[in-house]
Amino acid sequence: MAEGYVEYRNLRKSFGGLEILHGVDLTIPEGAFAVLVGPSGCGKSTLLRMTAGLENVTSGEINIAGRMVNNVHAKNRGIAMVFQSYALYPHMSVEDNMSFGLKMRKTPLQLITDRIKRAASILKLGPMLDRLPSQLSGGQRQRVAMGRALTREPEVFLFDEPLSNLDAKLRVEMRAEIKALHQRLKTTTIYVTHDQIEAMTMADLVVVMHDGRIEQVGEPLAIYDRPANLFVAEFLGSPAMNLIPGIIAQDADGRVVQTESGLRLPLEPEANGTVGQKVVYGIRPEHLQLDPAGDLPIRLTLVEPAGWETHVHADLGGHIVRMVSTKRVAQRAGDSTTATIDATRAHLFDAATGNRL
Amino acid sequence: MSHTTPMVEDGPTGADRLKPFVPYLLVLPGLLFVMGILGYAVVGGIILSLNETDMFMNKTFVGLKNYIDVFADPRFQDAMVRTLNFVVISIVLGIFMSMSFALVLYKVVRGRRFFRGLSLVPYFVSGIATAVMFRFIFTTSGGFVNTVLAQLGLPAQSWLGDPTLAFVVAIMANCWFMVPFASLILLGGLQTIDKDLYDAAAIDGANPIQIFFRITLPLIKPMLGVSLIWVSYISFSTFDIVLALTSGGPLKATELVSIYMYELAFQQLNFGQGAVLMVVLLVFNTVLSLIYIKIFVMGDRRHSEAGK
Ligand SMILES: Nc1ncnc2c1ncn2[C@@H]1O[C@H](COP(=O)(O)OP(=O)(O)OP(=O)(O)O)[C@@H](O)[C@H]1O
Ligand SMILES: [Mg+2]
Repeated sequence: MAEGYVEYRNLRKSFGGLEILHGVDLTIPEGAFAVLVGPSGCGKSTLLRMTAGLENVTSGEINIAGRMVNNVHAKNRGIAMVFQSYALYPHMSVEDNMSFGLKMRKTPLQLITDRIKRAASILKLGPMLDRLPSQLSGGQRQRVAMGRALTREPEVFLFDEPLSNLDAKLRVEMRAEIKALHQRLKTTTIYVTHDQIEAMTMADLVVVMHDGRIEQVGEPLAIYDRPANLFVAEFLGSPAMNLIPGIIAQDADGRVVQTESGLRLPLEPEANGTVGQKVVYGIRPEHLQLDPAGDLPIRLTLVEPAGWETHVHADLGGHIVRMVSTKRVAQRAGDSTTATIDATRAHLFDAATGNRL
Repeated sequence: MSHTTPMVEDGPTGADRLKPFVPYLLVLPGLLFVMGILGYAVVGGIILSLNETDMFMNKTFVGLKNYIDVFADPRFQDAMVRTLNFVVISIVLGIFMSMSFALVLYKVVRGRRFFRGLSLVPYFVSGIATAVMFRFIFTTSGGFVNTVLAQLGLPAQSWLGDPTLAFVVAIMANCWFMVPFASLILLGGLQTIDKDLYDAAAIDGANPIQIFFRITLPLIKPMLGVSLIWVSYISFSTFDIVLALTSGGPLKATELVSIYMYELAFQQLNFGQGAVLMVVLLVFNTVLSLIYIKIFVMGDRRHSEAGK
């Protein structure tokens, strides 16, 4: 049985009577790269800051490495944190920024030098050790913030949206760099982001949060393939999954989902759900394809060629749906044609509860 | 993409060449006005100090005679030593109090604005009124402090009659006047600090005292410099409050250079020697300010320049 390295048990947080986290239960295994993802204001940073010891626990438990840390001071939790603002000390050189924590802990000088040397070589900070943070670019500051965390040699790394102040290109680079760093050090990491692409690409374990609750926990592709509810279905994936409300009906060839406009969307025979049940039918853009031999009549409303793939918006029985095709699309906006759905890839959600059937 | 505008192709125009000077041109009128008045007072004072001036403002040039006389005057020497004591104690106490208030106000979220407004009150009240208020508080019979002492069963003190106590009360009145504004300056500095730094420092294992001395203090150094200039300047120049509070007494215990200057110039009508004292205060103020600027404000150049 894999012992959870970071564990939350019915963790709650209130700010002045207003509950922000409503009972979080989560187990993060040792060495995992866990990504907390969710829309703005859902409580990701709050959960991370509670883990760091920067916010009090209202009720419930936080365990790190088998130790209940609710009342342990931030400095004694064995964590290091990288902030969105980097939080580098502006009046200290890069080297002093990295050594500050070690000096506060009265680490022997030789050990400090060694650790800084190591972190600097891992993150290629050598040439900037004497500079002040204000003399660095955004990406370099980001690296220094990581270097500072690294020299602490923590048991858990905490990242709060570390890439959101970088431009798109640098973000992709740093994403890969952080991931590579994790693969090298294998330190348990909790990474907060509201960018679902970061979540998908970086995580071993994705934790989808919404309004102070965990909606789903799992490996990125597992969640992508089997979202537990409508919120997760819509939140993960870009462009987002198409969601079409309807009722399960019996057709000559089996069950289908019949929409208000009379459209019949195919289901595989093993699909859950009973005839007459109100559902939401979900299909990802890449599983809805233009097909001259298809049986779903559509009218294109927007064609966006992006080079290696094409994004198509189309009207399907009164619903605007998104499609992604890796083939070039000859048709233009306004053209009418047909499409097919890969029924084995369809998702069904209960219309009343939003949960996956 | 058009990245070349005609202006660039033609080279800088006249207007472009003037651009760097525009900010200076804008502050020029105000600067001239302030410099004019300051310059007039300073130059006028220096001229006065080099002349013997009679009641009818007839001047006779006497060179450094006034300076020699003043420096040899034991009453001046006493006043100078007293002023330096007064200033040093006021600076230490004033900065300590200002920093404490600023830190408390920084922590207080509710009512911060109210206190910020309140802290300007001393500057709306005239120095004389302040002195009268302090007299009420420290009057021997029926004064607020002695009443409180009596309640506690402690003996009454002759606050304004005892030389040492009067000196202490004068310093307190001076602090009452200068601390609120200095607190505002420091509070402004505290508020510019990114709160994440405190979180980072807590995780780094720094305790509150280490955080204050290694993070907070270095980051508000420029504001600390400005409040030091303010506190020193006010302490050197304080005049109306102390004059109305003690008239320099008892036994000259609170006769500061500024008060002796008033006596020399306006009671003995010795304008020349009075002006010498003005020049002495001016030199002290200027030298101290330059030192503060060098240490606290310019010392920061390295990262403020790089921050551009
Ligand atoms: N110190 C605080 N006092 C009161 N409310 C707070 C405090 N900190 C956070 N909140 C509230 O808690 C909720 C969750 O905030 P949190 O910062 O954890 O969100 P988040 O998921 O990190 O969002 P974002 O993606 O915008 O950073 C928000 O509604 C926020 O207003
Ligand atoms: Mg956040």
